[in-house]
Amino acid sequence: MLLQIKNLKVGYGNIEVVRGVDLNIDKGECVGLIGESGCGKTTVGLSITKLIPERRGITSGEILFEDRDILKLNPEELRNIRSKKISYVFQEPFSSLNPVFTIYEQIKESLEEKDNSDSQIAEILKSVGLEKIIGRKNVYPHELSGGMQQRAMIGMAVASKPSLVVLDEPTTALDVTIQRQILELIMELKNKMNLSILFISHDLRIVFSIADKIGIMYAGKIVEYGLKEKIISNPGHPYTMGLMDSIPSFEHRKKLFNAIGGKAPLFSDLPIGCKFYPRCKFRIDKCLEKEPELENVSSGHVSRCIRIKDMHYGVIKNK
Amino acid sequence: MELLKISNLYKTFKKHKVSAVDGASFSIFKGEVLGLVGESGCGKTTLAKLILRLIDADKGSIFYKDKDLLKISHSDMRKTRKSLQIIFQDPYASLDPRMRIGEVIEEVYDIHKDVTGREKKNKAIELLETVGLGETYLQRLSSELSGGERQRVGIARALATDPEFIICDEPVSSLDISIQAQILNLLIDLQKRKNLTYLFISHDLGVIGSICDRVIVMQSGKFVESGSCETIFRNPKHEYTKSLLESALLS
Repeated sequence: MLLQIKNLKVGYGNIEVVRGVDLNIDKGECVGLIGESGCGKTTVGLSITKLIPERRGITSGEILFEDRDILKLNPEELRNIRSKKISYVFQEPFSSLNPVFTIYEQIKESLEEKDNSDSQIAEILKSVGLEKIIGRKNVYPHELSGGMQQRAMIGMAVASKPSLVVLDEPTTALDVTIQRQILELIMELKNKMNLSILFISHDLRIVFSIADKIGIMYAGKIVEYGLKEKIISNPGHPYTMGLMDSIPSFEHRKKLFNAIGGKAPLFSDLPIGCKFYPRCKFRIDKCLEKEPELENVSSGHVSRCIRIKDMHYGVIKNK
Repeated sequence: MELLKISNLYKTFKKHKVSAVDGASFSIFKGEVLGLVGESGCGKTTLAKLILRLIDADKGSIFYKDKDLLKISHSDMRKTRKSLQIIFQDPYASLDPRMRIGEVIEEVYDIHKDVTGREKKNKAIELLETVGLGETYLQRLSSELSGGERQRVGIARALATDPEFIICDEPVSSLDISIQAQILNLLIDLQKRKNLTYLFISHDLGVIGSICDRVIVMQSGKFVESGSCETIFRNPKHEYTKSLLESALLS
């Protein structure tokens, strides 16, 4: 196992936003993490290399990367992991790139000194489909389109040949056609470099197309986890079903969506019992007793819902 | 019945030498949802702005009922805009951060001067209820609202003058998928209830397919294909439409 997150808890002040997350990523595997804005998915991604500021603090848990607990490393050791072994690509390429340095300078910076020659940089530009920039050392980020900026970001992320890349909504700010190109690029690099990927997104369509395993997060906890095929064919949590019913498509023509009502709860004011209770279509009084544990739906597929047994292939016997 | 008839509309941004809208001709019929799809920068939003005369066209005509919108005076256009409204993409940028939600909606009546005094507040409450918010939102600031709630305010504001035609310019693109479904539900429901006509702009073919009757596909300022949703989705003719459909991850 390349990365094992065990019972991770992160608090922002007194408010806990990641409330006990377990997640494993194998070598060469792509794990998707889905959830609405503010469910804590980005915080999980940032915690992996302890990028959360001290005052916000990771309160408990273990993050085992190549069998070492990242949370116990000293700053020197952390520096050797950040961007060398674990790198990031974020949502907004333009705000991630430094506007006053050229693309060349920025890729050079992410390479180790011994191999930051121009030919190395050209190699990287080529691998992310930026042949146009090879040799043009005075190109700044603002001269590139959003898609090309994101390619440059991906180039920087893989320059140091990391084993894990955390992609946090890498295609959300892009158009569909560009989105598709970037996803293809990510898959190509993943296969070529045997990369492990944590892919964070709120868009199920994208995660379904790229991930091997999927975790669905709600209010700071994973509510369903398993192989992609199992979740698509037999979602085991009402929240997952609601998200799948919200996907707009031609087949749903002119019908009202079976949308999830209401909005996600505030972390400062979480409901008792199951956190999805106020928005759940299948709720019963027993759901209020305590927050459900993860239970097996089938082998390698777990869900945090006490009504699992009443659920079969997305249908529930209601009340 | 043809509600809007647009012929040979051109717009070039001279400084950048870009033909943003290059000879657009189409009609929008009363009570339909017409989709406009294309990549960023293909001229979708420019076309929307031209129709409402928020920017000036180079040439062409836009007939709304019997009037050519490009030929009428500014004051006539102002009156006509009551029936032609727009919902913008970015609910963060389209609400004044210093105004309370009540003021945002009441401002519409200050401009159009058809509702006055205390009636304004009642109207605002009624509109907020129509879009699934309520009186409690009158005193809130937009910064206190989530993206979905802001977009609901944007919709309420567009409905304030009781329009018959609304341009929805990427109204759900910046929203989470579950909230997206809620807003699409609201738009579908309003359209049916008030027999509204929409020009629905989006780059997401999934969204277009779920809500529109007809679709126009646009590429660098030109229309490359148009037809009923069925034809475009089941049997696309143009290469560009095919590539859009392939990228849309519709499976």
